Amino acid sequence: MSKVTPAVIDDDPSAYETKHVHEVYDQIASHFSSTRYKPWPIIAAFLASLPPGWVGLDSGTGNGKYLPLPLERPGSVWTIGLDRSRNLLDAARNAGGAVREVVWGDVLGNGWRIGAFDYAISIATIHHLATPARRREAVERLLQSVSPSHGRVLIYVWAIEQDALSKRQIPTTPDASSPGAIVGEDVYVPWVLNPQPGPQKTSRRRKAATESEPEPSHEVQIEPQTFHRYYHMFAEGELDGLVNEAAKQLRLVIGPHTSAQRHTLGVEIVQSGWERSNHYVEVKRWQA
Amino acid sequence: MVRLITHNLLACHVKGCTSNNFPLKLQDVQIALREAEFNEDFLRGFIPRLEWGALVQAAREVGDDSLPAEVPEMLDDEFLKQLHHVLLEIHIDEGSMVCPNCKHVYPISSGIPNMLLAEHEIG
Ligand SMILES: [Zn+2]
Repeated sequence: MSKVTPAVIDDDPSAYETKHVHEVYDQIASHFSSTRYKPWPIIAAFLASLPPGWVGLDSGTGNGKYLPLPLERPGSVWTIGLDRSRNLLDAARNAGGAVREVVWGDVLGNGWRIGAFDYAISIATIHHLATPARRREAVERLLQSVSPSHGRVLIYVWAIEQDALSKRQIPTTPDASSPGAIVGEDVYVPWVLNPQPGPQKTSRRRKAATESEPEPSHEVQIEPQTFHRYYHMFAEGELDGLVNEAAKQLRLVIGPHTSAQRHTLGVEIVQSGWERSNHYVEVKRWQA
Repeated sequence: MVRLITHNLLACHVKGCTSNNFPLKLQDVQIALREAEFNEDFLRGFIPRLEWGALVQAAREVGDDSLPAEVPEMLDDEFLKQLHHVLLEIHIDEGSMVCPNCKHVYPISSGIPNMLLAEHEIG
């Protein structure tokens, strides 16, 4: 029941994501938002390193768990949360017990002044886009959203290479069409909503169902419900490749700034690696 | 939530709408005032990043004309407190934001701005 299974994108990618990502999150949002969270070290360190006065974008903020960070100096930076799921934003708007700034939008949208932000994070989001071109575009939007002279971007996506502690097993299929290419795996990852004991935390969907139908008895037995979310699990090197592709599209020089460069816009990969079943990359924009 | 801190960052992103697409004009707004923690370090760091004219205009659109037309040279306590109030304590709970160029309307509902576009409007 709760096994990761291969996915086939059999529709227009935007319509496919609506069905296999956005609608799922809207349905599981009320449960998702109650999940406890401790930020991974690299994300916490990134946010703790930001100077006071910086404003940032959390693209695909979900339940807004990064919006209160850094906890040791609240309010010294402001992170604006963006998400496609309106129901998740209801949780994000009060993340950490204070009023947050959230915007309903798409990670492929560009509803900001160009370069308006000092930093952007995108944690566990880009892997929900169903084609390489859309994933690259999402990275382009992040690079465009931050300052050309000092903007910093941190991206996390799920990796094929899962932590030993993780229960997820990713099915791998040999890719005959492009041998040697760095390609991840398209999969469905199940989300099981278990019946809640005691006072019931029912989802809106179930509530609607019980309201519209006469109840057979007062002891309603609720079966666990399984939702399947689409993920593109990244292969090693694939995320860095995506950043390079996005930089090329935006005509940014890739690599550290050297003193010989003038009238140039560039982007440098500051660090990239694997942490707790995720691939991550941190980049910094520069202007000469 | 949408406060003027966020409004100062938003721009229209309808396909082809790339100039005069900021600031979005606030219309038919319902305002709530909610106290927020004052953070002087944030404000001092953030001032150079603001589009000041846009902030002054947006503040007027929501009924606050306390800000000077230009950022003062001396950032005294009184000014910082006023800026804090305008940026972080005025909540736009309902209303809409209209693009000055293409007139696209972005609705605000229950404090959340809707920046989604239809597929054919995306650039
Ligand atoms: Zn417009």
